[in-house]
Amino acid sequence: MTGPAFGLDLRRSRTLIVGLVVVTALYAGFISVFYTNVVENAEQFESLLDAYPRELLVAFGLGEGSFADPGIFLSGYVFSFLWPLVASITAIALGTRVASDANRGFLDVVLSTPLRRVNHLLGSIGTQVVAIAIVALAMVTGVFVGDLLIEPNFPEDRVALSALHSLAFGAAIAGPTTLLAVVLLDRGRAAGIAAGVLVVMYLFNVVAALAPDVDWLSSLSAFRYFNLQGLIGRGEYPISDSLLLGVIAVAGWTMAIIAFRRRDLSA
Amino acid sequence: MPSIIEASRLTKSYGSRRGISDVTFTVEEGEVFGFLGPNGAGKTTTIRTLLGLLRPTAGRAAIFGLDVWADAPRIHERLSYVGSDPAYLGELTAGEQLDYVGRLRRLPKGSWRAVAERLELDPSVQIRKLSRGNRQKVGVVQAFMGDAPLIVLDEPSSGLDPLMQREFLALVSEVRTAGRTVFLSSHNLPEVERSCDRVGIIREGQLIEISPVQALLAGHWRSVNLVFGAPPPTGAFDLPNVQVVSATARDVHLMVRGDLNPFLRRLAELDVHDLSITTPDIEDIFLRFYDRDAPMQVDDAAGDAEEVAR
Repeated sequence: MTGPAFGLDLRRSRTLIVGLVVVTALYAGFISVFYTNVVENAEQFESLLDAYPRELLVAFGLGEGSFADPGIFLSGYVFSFLWPLVASITAIALGTRVASDANRGFLDVVLSTPLRRVNHLLGSIGTQVVAIAIVALAMVTGVFVGDLLIEPNFPEDRVALSALHSLAFGAAIAGPTTLLAVVLLDRGRAAGIAAGVLVVMYLFNVVAALAPDVDWLSSLSAFRYFNLQGLIGRGEYPISDSLLLGVIAVAGWTMAIIAFRRRDLSA
Repeated sequence: MPSIIEASRLTKSYGSRRGISDVTFTVEEGEVFGFLGPNGAGKTTTIRTLLGLLRPTAGRAAIFGLDVWADAPRIHERLSYVGSDPAYLGELTAGEQLDYVGRLRRLPKGSWRAVAERLELDPSVQIRKLSRGNRQKVGVVQAFMGDAPLIVLDEPSSGLDPLMQREFLALVSEVRTAGRTVFLSSHNLPEVERSCDRVGIIREGQLIEISPVQALLAGHWRSVNLVFGAPPPTGAFDLPNVQVVSATARDVHLMVRGDLNPFLRRLAELDVHDLSITTPDIEDIFLRFYDRDAPMQVDDAAGDAEEVAR
C-alpha cells in the first residue's frame, strides 16, 4: 500500500518540486556562464574579494584558493550557497508533511483505512528522496547547460557526482526533520526547530573556520560534511562524508517510522 | 444482535486537558447510534480513540470484537470514517481525493459517483475552491461510498443546506435498512432525533445518558395547556405523573409524563374547551443535561412546590 501513498504525496508535491527545479536550474545555469569571465579576470576578482573582511567571505563559503579553480567557483557560488537553501526548503517542506496532515485532519482519514502507518510514512519518505534527487539533478543540469555556452568546460563527471553528494546532504536534513515532525506532530514547531538547528550548524561552521581553537564546532555541523571543492577540483569523492550524511538520513527516517508505528496521534 | 462497538470504562486524558473518562457503551449491529454533545465535550476524542488513532489511557474498546488500539488495521478494513472538517487536500479535486481514499479502502475506481450525484457534488472542482457546504459533501460521499459494515461519522452534516441534510438522512436510513451500523456524532439534534435508534449524551468527557431516542422523548415532561368551560374541581389532576404548573379559574398549565391514558380519561370527564400539548424535542432534553443550574418550578394540585430539573 506504499504505492498509492507515494503517488499521492508526489502529486501533492509537484508545484513545490517544479518551482524549485526552475529556480535552481536557472540560477545554476546563470552563474555557470560567468565562469569564463571569472577565469579571465581571476586576479581582479581576488583583489576585489581581498577588500572584504575574511569573516564575511567565510560566512558565504568563500575561503581560500583561486576562483579559476572550478571546484572553488562552483562550490562557492552554486553548491555551497544555493544547495543548502534549496535542500533545506525541500526537506523541511516535505519532511514535515506528516505533521501538516495531522494538523489538518487528513491523517485521521487515511489511517482509518486499511493503509498502515508504516506505508503512509514510507510514501512520504519516498517523495522526499525523489524530490531532493530531482532538484539536485536540476541544479547539475543547470550547470551543464551553462557549461555548454562557455570555454573552458567544467569536469562533467565530477559535477554529475556532485548531485549524489547533494542528495545525501538533503536527505540528512530530511531524515531528522521527519523524525521531528512525527514526534511533535506540529508542522510549525517541527519546521521551526529544523530551520533553527540548520542556522546554528551553519554558524558553527563559520565560527570554526574563523577560530581554529574551536574547530571542533564544525564537526557538529552538517555543512562541514558538504564541501564539493575536492570532488570538482581534484576528483576526490567525499565517500566518508556521503556515508555519514546517508547514515544520518536513514537513522532519522528509521526512527521516525518506529516512533510513528505506535504513536498516539494526539498533538 | 452482536455488538459492533463495545467501550468499557474508556478513558483518554491529555495531561492537564480533559479528554474522556469512564465512557462505557455498546453499539449493536444494524443500529444507528447518535453521540450527542457540544463542542469540547469529548465526541471527537471518543471517535479518535475508537479508530485507534489515540491510545486509551485506561479502559478498553473493541470494534468487531477486535481491540481498537492493537488491531486497528484489521478494524479499518471494515469501516468507513469521515471527520468533522473534510477539506483535507485543497490541492486535489474532490474526485481525486475520493479516488485516493477509495483506493486505500480497496474500492473500485469511481465508487463514489452514485453518492456524489445524489448530493449534486461536482467532482472536478479543486477542494480549496469549494464552498463549506460542498466540502462537507465530499466528506459525506467519502463516508457512504462502498459498503463498509460500520460507518463512523463525526459531525458530517454541519454546513449542508436543508435539502442536502434530507438527502444525508436518506442515506443513513438506507444504510440502516441494509443492516449496516452507523455511529453518528453530532450536535445537530433534529438530525439525531430523525435518524438514530439510540443516543448517548456526553458531557465534559463523561457519558451521562444512553437511551433509545423514543424512550428519551417519552420519559420527559410534556407541557399541556388547558382551557375549561368551568373551573375544574379541586384535586382534578391528582394523578401519578401529572404536575400543575399554574392554574387560574379556567386556564390550567400542567406537565405530564409517561403513560397519558389516565390523564386523558380524567380530561374526558371535564368540560374542556381547548387543549394544546407540546412534546419536548430532543433539544429540550439535551439542554436539560447541560443546564442543571436552571430548575423549573412546578406546583402540584395541592399547591406543593417541587423542583424539576429541566
